[in-house]
Amino acid sequence: MALPLRYSFRNALVRWRSTSATVLGIALVVFVFVLLQSLAAGIERSSGNTGDPRNLLVVRKGSTAESASLIARQNFQDLRYLPEIARNPQGEPLMAADVLVLVNLPRRQGAGEANVLLRGVTPRGMELRPQVRLAAGRWFEPGHREVVVSAKLARRFEHFDIGQSFRSGSATLTVVGWLEGGGSAFDSECWLDADECRSLFERDMYSSFLIRPRDAAAGEQLMARIEADRRFKLKAEREVDYYRKQTMTAAPIKWLGNFLAVTMSIGAVFAAMNTMYAAVGSRTREIGTLRVLGFRRRSVVLALLLEGGFLALIGGALGCAVAFYWNGYTTATMGFETFSEIVFEFRITPRLVAEGLLFAVMVGLAGTFLPALRAARLPVIAALKSL
Amino acid sequence: MDIPEPIVTVRNLSKIYAQGEIQVTALNQISLTIAAGEFLTLMGPSGSGKSTLLHIIAGVDRPTSGECLVQGVDVTQLNESELADWRNQNVGFVFQTFNLIPVLTAFENVELPLLLTRLGSAQRRRQVEAVLDLVGLSDRMHHLPRQLSGGQEQRVAIARALVTDPKLVVADEPTGNLDSRSAQEVLGLLQSLSRPAGKTVIMVTHDPKAAAFGSRSIHLEKGELTR
Amino acid sequence: MTLSSFILKNALRNRRRLALSISSVAASLFLLITLQIALRELTNPISDEGSTLRIIVRNKVSLGQPLPARQRQVLEKIPGVAAVSPFTFYGGLYKGDEKFTSFAQFAVDPLRTRELLADARIPQEQYEAWVASQTSCILGRMTAERYGLKVGDRVQFTGQIYPCDLDLTIAGIYQGTADDRNLMFHQKYLDELLGNPGTVGTWWVRAASIAEAPLVTERINRAFANSSAEVRAESERAFVLGFVSMWANIKTLIGGISVVVVFALLLVTVSTMSMAIRERFRELAILKALGFRRRELFAFILAESFGLALAGALLGAGGAWVVFHQLDIQKLTNGLFVMFEVTPRMMGLAFSVAALLGVLAALGPMLTVVRTSVVEGLKTLD
Repeated sequence: MALPLRYSFRNALVRWRSTSATVLGIALVVFVFVLLQSLAAGIERSSGNTGDPRNLLVVRKGSTAESASLIARQNFQDLRYLPEIARNPQGEPLMAADVLVLVNLPRRQGAGEANVLLRGVTPRGMELRPQVRLAAGRWFEPGHREVVVSAKLARRFEHFDIGQSFRSGSATLTVVGWLEGGGSAFDSECWLDADECRSLFERDMYSSFLIRPRDAAAGEQLMARIEADRRFKLKAEREVDYYRKQTMTAAPIKWLGNFLAVTMSIGAVFAAMNTMYAAVGSRTREIGTLRVLGFRRRSVVLALLLEGGFLALIGGALGCAVAFYWNGYTTATMGFETFSEIVFEFRITPRLVAEGLLFAVMVGLAGTFLPALRAARLPVIAALKSL
Repeated sequence: MDIPEPIVTVRNLSKIYAQGEIQVTALNQISLTIAAGEFLTLMGPSGSGKSTLLHIIAGVDRPTSGECLVQGVDVTQLNESELADWRNQNVGFVFQTFNLIPVLTAFENVELPLLLTRLGSAQRRRQVEAVLDLVGLSDRMHHLPRQLSGGQEQRVAIARALVTDPKLVVADEPTGNLDSRSAQEVLGLLQSLSRPAGKTVIMVTHDPKAAAFGSRSIHLEKGELTR
Repeated sequence: MTLSSFILKNALRNRRRLALSISSVAASLFLLITLQIALRELTNPISDEGSTLRIIVRNKVSLGQPLPARQRQVLEKIPGVAAVSPFTFYGGLYKGDEKFTSFAQFAVDPLRTRELLADARIPQEQYEAWVASQTSCILGRMTAERYGLKVGDRVQFTGQIYPCDLDLTIAGIYQGTADDRNLMFHQKYLDELLGNPGTVGTWWVRAASIAEAPLVTERINRAFANSSAEVRAESERAFVLGFVSMWANIKTLIGGISVVVVFALLLVTVSTMSMAIRERFRELAILKALGFRRRELFAFILAESFGLALAGALLGAGGAWVVFHQLDIQKLTNGLFVMFEVTPRMMGLAFSVAALLGVLAALGPMLTVVRTSVVEGLKTLD
């Protein structure tokens, strides 16, 4: 028979003065863990959210990133009329060629400079990416030096308001609209006309192709065909798969988050052990009394573990609550794949909260285990010895 | 003559423990029987072994040798878990320092041993209320220990000892921390338990005035019975 | 018995708690140092002697945009320019690495590298062999050791940026620069593989003197203003700091976490100290009754708290120093961090934090001692 739950809870609460430091310590561990993981989750979500499952993305074989891929223009003609490719009502093949250019631009408020990814797109390219909408202003017109920037980037970079112009090298571009990528990787891009982009930045090659096959089977066929054809040296994969693999930026953040969580939790376990040893020490008589009353060792251990777990849970909840303040907060860093500024949101998912709480409870239990065992080993007559 | 059934039979009980490098004999070949319904007081100077004897009879300490039968069960032969159950069902404890759980109310403290039984909550409530009524604390039921006076705390502790309706109630200097008026009350309560209520009460004390409440008194000195 | 042995005996009385407290302080300080190193690696350019003279010239658009090879003649004529070499980041995947190669490969002009990388040391015959063979390369000592490569070995790379693969023979191993990791090969070899596109990645320029370097930077910028390929010339330090700026909010985040860690540390130490003192409340009262003055009681508390914090610092910071000297951080973090060096400054920081903790943690218990009378203390039994 176990001790009543309220014994554990009330003991945890009644000693709040001595336990608050431990609770806060655990809260901080969970806070750091959840915050960093939410950062990684935000990055992963923005890339995992990108693309159309029907599309195929073609890059140069060996290139890990679209922005670092170079494809000869001849290849566009070679692929364009393949039978696997779907056509629009006007009979044109649904295939687009994009040109990606990195430009170094100043941030707002003099916060240094950063690379921004410009994507030169064709009308087909926009058709194939319905995810991207116009948030304000209008789309660029072919033949004009106009650009539509991501609304999220617009808040971070100088001269990105509609109607303003910015210079890059010898080129001057006018911002005519803001785009909205729906939380995808396109939220970190600026779009302009592909031909204009190539001539402005003297690009002879394309960066990538985007293809809509007729159906899934045709897609498989096309991937195999491109893979097998030695002339091309190209690689085709599903657009969503490509973006889902763009995890290089999130990986070190996750690594850091885990590293910090582990190291900090070691400290927290020691602190929790200290608190619980003190709790056991000051309650020697009480624990002895429980044993005299007929409670078994395992009931005492269980009650103390519950007490420690409960304390840690309070800490964990506190940490999650504080971290939740940042939920949805937009931030940015340099993406490792594109080498450009990527914008994303802190995402505190229910899963992360659960992980944070679980983590807290583990710390609590780890810290309580040895003290609880010690309590169980206390001789019963300790209760009867006066002080 | 009507000889009452012995409830406790102690035979050749010895307890030797090591204090540093010195062997201390706490009890030396003690034999003793206690009849049901007795209010036995154990007296003696400190270090005489009276508490050790009480602890062994109550199943919280183990002798070095000898046997101790309580209601026919040799408590020295029970293992830890069996002993825990046995204590719960057969022994009620009253301590010098009350030993109430500070985070639980008077009611909850008294209810605690019942949580180890199969009683339902309504039944538990009835029993707890009955014993609290018996010790005269019905109006203090939902107070925490620190909101009670010493005498009241000790009466809660006695209620806790009685709530499982044990045959045996053991008390270790129950008046040691009480003023004389509260002590009178507590001793009166213990006395009323023995004959009228049919419990056997064993009390350790060094106070002759307290011992006067008992029906029989045993003296220990250096681990041996002297009278 | 002396007072100090009394203090020591007191501190050692609850050995388990002492060990736990020291360990938690140590864990936190270890973490603090780790974060400081990471922050330093991300924000502080590693520099050597040559870096003060080096000027890096890139396309004004961005580092990703190439520069025309014909700019070299113009650059070489600019007053104050001592040497010019292309420095083209090839960015290939080393054969054997799965996803990511942690060292860079640069296409350069071998004849100019000695002037540009003044700190690099390489045996004369190795250097000559490299200059002589267009398909050879030189490799930094750190990378050579990591991959177990030696002179004469062949190394292959798959182009991730350029549509060509490299097949090189190691002609020499260099060392002595701030970051002995890079591989350098002939720009001519890359040009040939690409069909002579007439472009390079960046120019590295050596200024004739430190005094002239800022002037040279300006002259270069002006020379290509309003041309089809405008450039951005900047000192190596400014160039690297430009990268740092791109990390954006991550820097702030790591800094913030350091503060959180220190705060957590404070909590732990304070609670431990108050626990230790509470346990000894009665004893302190007895000492008072015996005639010890507050001053001496303060000294007891302070000495214990201080000692605890410093022991933690010794273990944590010392541990970090030992661990990061032993571990191959480059391998562990997949090349994200290179040196992971514990600087004396960081050790200083750790110990200062510890000392501060020692004082802060002692404040609470000292206050209690002031507030408590002898009688009250003696009454407190547990």
